[in-house]
Amino acid sequence: MVDQQLLIEEAKKIVSQEDVKYVVGYKKGTYGFTVSPSYAYSPEYVENFIFNPLCTKNLTVYPMLEEKLPLGRDEKEDTRKIGLVVKGCDSRAIVQIIQEKGLKREDVVLIGIPCTGVIEPRKINRKFPDVKDVEDVLEEDDNYIIRFNGETHTIPKNELLSNACKNCETPNPPLYDVLIGEKVDTPEIQEFANLKDLEDKKIEEKWDYWEKHFDRCIRCYACREACPLCYCIECMADSLTPQWLRRSVNLSENTAWNIMRAFHLAGRCIGCGECERSCPVNIPLMELNKKIEKDVKELYEYTAGKDLEEKPLFGTFKPDDPEEFIL
Amino acid sequence: MSEDFDPNIIGFLCNWCSYAGADLAGTSRIQYPHNVKIIRVMCSGRINPMFVVNALQQGADGVLIGGCHPGDCHYQQGNFLARRRISILKNLLEFIGIDSRRVRMTWVSAAEGRKFAEVVEEVTEDIKKLGPMEQIQRVNVW
Repeated sequence: MVDQQLLIEEAKKIVSQEDVKYVVGYKKGTYGFTVSPSYAYSPEYVENFIFNPLCTKNLTVYPMLEEKLPLGRDEKEDTRKIGLVVKGCDSRAIVQIIQEKGLKREDVVLIGIPCTGVIEPRKINRKFPDVKDVEDVLEEDDNYIIRFNGETHTIPKNELLSNACKNCETPNPPLYDVLIGEKVDTPEIQEFANLKDLEDKKIEEKWDYWEKHFDRCIRCYACREACPLCYCIECMADSLTPQWLRRSVNLSENTAWNIMRAFHLAGRCIGCGECERSCPVNIPLMELNKKIEKDVKELYEYTAGKDLEEKPLFGTFKPDDPEEFIL
Repeated sequence: MSEDFDPNIIGFLCNWCSYAGADLAGTSRIQYPHNVKIIRVMCSGRINPMFVVNALQQGADGVLIGGCHPGDCHYQQGNFLARRRISILKNLLEFIGIDSRRVRMTWVSAAEGRKFAEVVEEVTEDIKKLGPMEQIQRVNVW
């Protein structure tokens, strides 16, 4: 359980530093089980910061989204830092971004939170539909304690836990400046366990499975917007010269988009599961990401977001990389 | 598959080795299937995985990628980088249900006209067995 008072205190300390522009954290949402990101420019804004298992969003997207306008004459670039509240996977995303030189280490101040998993909004909304005002969501042992409308519900953790969190290998942030509370134990996991069924299917069955999903894709690009590592200034999906993807929404273009998205995250995806949570039509995008993660691990012994000094997967090679597929 | 299926294969060949290898096959008058349509690229490392996906969308039944032998790349390391990319792409295509045999990669040097002809024969045979690409064809091709 995260001590919210401690979080607020630490965030206050950080936001009052001279060289910090703002701190991004979580605040209570306006409706139901939502939690929204909150920007704190000065210490009084920090008061509404919270952290509970509903805080699913990966706040790492925000430093990359910040618009940098062209500078006027005599204007100097604002090089102040950005504070971020990060869970284990979010911190990994920051490591990965720093590794690819998207950010510098001194650009960010990280408030690390040892995380024991977050609640899948879809699951909790299905369980308690039409709840308007949620008082509190707590985690106790293996249960979530949810309070609203004067009622208290105790739900087993497994029922609501987000799919990506079930196989989490980095509950503790690998990179942080302040850590709130104690580090938690890394649970024993069966990595890539749920991929096995899909991989063992016949090729026609695989296509049937994915055809169903890709056909439903509405190409809203929510997966791209939610992803902390999709920060290209111009996305290939938006590019018109050359036009890699047509604008029309049909099976062919949707498949191409999903291949492209998954491939661009090869060796970069840190498995926060935000793409899957943000998908309005429930496409199991993490299966694609995990499949690539697995291949990359098996073929090149590479894991994304572990080490600040590591070189990107596709920017390096070993002369003895496997090449059985080559004629 | 029926006998008269005539596959459409796009060959992305690197300027320095495979393309010269294909040229040698031609000047040596080696017979090889006409199905492969060759696009010259400067290096196999130039090949964006989207080239492959777009080719499959636009009516290709298979894609052949040719580069220099490892260590012989004109740009030192382009073919090594391509090797990583294409192997991940092949696995991904296999995973979503597109037969990965449709995407083939080969090392052909400028002196291997014979090998180029053999590779094209093998690929064409394979694609003929697999039949036409039906999964991700574009609706309106222009």
